[in-house]
Amino acid sequence: MKIYPYPRLTGSVTARVTAVRLRGAGDVREQLESRSWSVVEQVVALGTAERDDWQTVRIGLAATVPTREIETKGHWTDVSVVAVVTEGTTNTRTAARLTSTDDSGRDWSGEIELDRADHLDRASLAVHVVAMVDGQAGRVIASTDQDWLIDMAAAAPLRERQLDVSTVSFVRGTEWLRSFRDAPWVVDTSGRMPAVRLNSDFEGLVALVESSGSQVERAVGEMLLAQMCADVWTAVFHTAIGDLEVEDDGTPLFPADWRGAVLREMLPDIVPGRSDEDALREVHTRRTGEGSWANLQPRIQYAAARRADVPRTLASTVRDLERIAQETDA
Amino acid sequence: MTSRPEYLPERLALLSDLQAAEFVTVGLLEGRDDVPSIALNKVAEPLPGDDARSRLHRVRDLIDHALVRFRGAPRPTVADAWLAPRLHETLRLTRREAAEKSFWTYLALGVAPDYVVWRHQSEAKGDTSHGRVARDRFFGAHYKQAFARLWWAAELFREGSDYRPVTVACSNQDMLNSALRLDVIDHRPTALALVRLLERGIVRTGRDVNALTSAVNAAAATLMYDVVAPDVERDGEPMRDWIATAESALPSPREVLPEGPEEQPAPEKSVEWLAGHFAELFADTEVRGRVSNAGD
Repeated sequence: MKIYPYPRLTGSVTARVTAVRLRGAGDVREQLESRSWSVVEQVVALGTAERDDWQTVRIGLAATVPTREIETKGHWTDVSVVAVVTEGTTNTRTAARLTSTDDSGRDWSGEIELDRADHLDRASLAVHVVAMVDGQAGRVIASTDQDWLIDMAAAAPLRERQLDVSTVSFVRGTEWLRSFRDAPWVVDTSGRMPAVRLNSDFEGLVALVESSGSQVERAVGEMLLAQMCADVWTAVFHTAIGDLEVEDDGTPLFPADWRGAVLREMLPDIVPGRSDEDALREVHTRRTGEGSWANLQPRIQYAAARRADVPRTLASTVRDLERIAQETDA
Repeated sequence: MTSRPEYLPERLALLSDLQAAEFVTVGLLEGRDDVPSIALNKVAEPLPGDDARSRLHRVRDLIDHALVRFRGAPRPTVADAWLAPRLHETLRLTRREAAEKSFWTYLALGVAPDYVVWRHQSEAKGDTSHGRVARDRFFGAHYKQAFARLWWAAELFREGSDYRPVTVACSNQDMLNSALRLDVIDHRPTALALVRLLERGIVRTGRDVNALTSAVNAAAATLMYDVVAPDVERDGEPMRDWIATAESALPSPREVLPEGPEEQPAPEKSVEWLAGHFAELFADTEVRGRVSNAGD
């Protein structure tokens, strides 16, 4: 937990998206339907738009603030509420003030406009409560616990991302793929998002993964997918940790893109019970030679397998195979 | 010394890290080898369409000029302040396009590996070893990669069409290196206020700049600069217009500064307030530095 040199709110601030409107050249407008965002997942999926030529998006927001605490404690004056959208990969930050919609100061609403040319992938939206504290204006006294994600291209408002799996011939593929001609699949972590390339030259593999055959094939196919996923998680973790930027004082930094997201997701399983920053420092120190990198490998494998749902899939595959065996015996 | 690529296609292209890896050899990093340009362009993916902005020679001409102009300079770092605004004006990218790492990788390996080596090769130590270029100057984070860092510096430190703050920021390597990696400068009045402290000589040395930027960054965790020093609302229209005129744009002027998109300048009040605030923060760190030095 961070320690602040001034009093902050303990109650929580919530924010929700209430409307999403797109605008294009020649004043073309489109209002997205409410299935384009999810209050549960806290994601807006702009890929749900019918038109692809939009240039700006206006997001309507509503926020609630723990007013009673502000009144009873009396530390804060000049309270304002701001929405801030950031995306690390495009170094873009946009802020908009919300306005109070009732007398109590509990409900706030407003809009924030983003330009498509300023964003690439996923932007984060947070709402902050700002106030004057001890004579200092502009103090952040509370923020939303979890950011909303504005996904520029997703067709469904889901936080978790679908893995990009594509089938290509390794023999006829790029030079890089040709060097893996015997492998059933490889994980490519070089792009904006990690991707799995399935080798179409590996006979029967594609059918197996698509799980369209017999019960046995389906069970094995699922197992294979889980294993592939575990491979991906292991590969992306190593890519992310191997490519860290380090501050002058030796503090490693979380990357802004998916690499950062992967690290935040896996670190609690690799170094349990520590803050994200501490865990990152620990893993980085071990990798760069001080401490044991080898001892950490089982934990990385464990974290990857957990993300890929390997234990559960394996358990159910074993059960399925048993049942199939019993059915054949009977 | 690594030389100008023998083969330069008409259009700029994209090159992924994986594809780039085989071309970034020790020989290249030590400035002994050239990049095999024909092989490289076989794997690179040319930019689609017929956009004037993706004409390779517009960039290469600029690089050629920079090399002639600064080759005799005491330090190659002086080229940054000249090249950053002109590279920005020549490429006319949106931030979305500039976030594409493979674009910068191609620029470094396919268009101007000779420039990257000349600008970033470290001094050789002793007679036996060669000076080296760090790999991340060819493909790396936006604040490391040889051309991405200049473009982003120009984008984040310019004030609308005015590139003057960019040249100030780029004239100080510590500002360029340490500020560019911080999220706080994504708030434009913050970036401009940092430049003012440099201009006014309040911060001078690399140590000053590093102390200042880390103090500003730490303060931003509790102070909402967007509220105390708001910027104008971002408007994408001037950028779109600017990009649309790329076709008819003249080559970037070599002697005077070019002009960027006609965006609104940041509110003077915001920039000045922050400049004052940062000067106070810096004075505090200086005092603390002196106290701890005295205790040594």
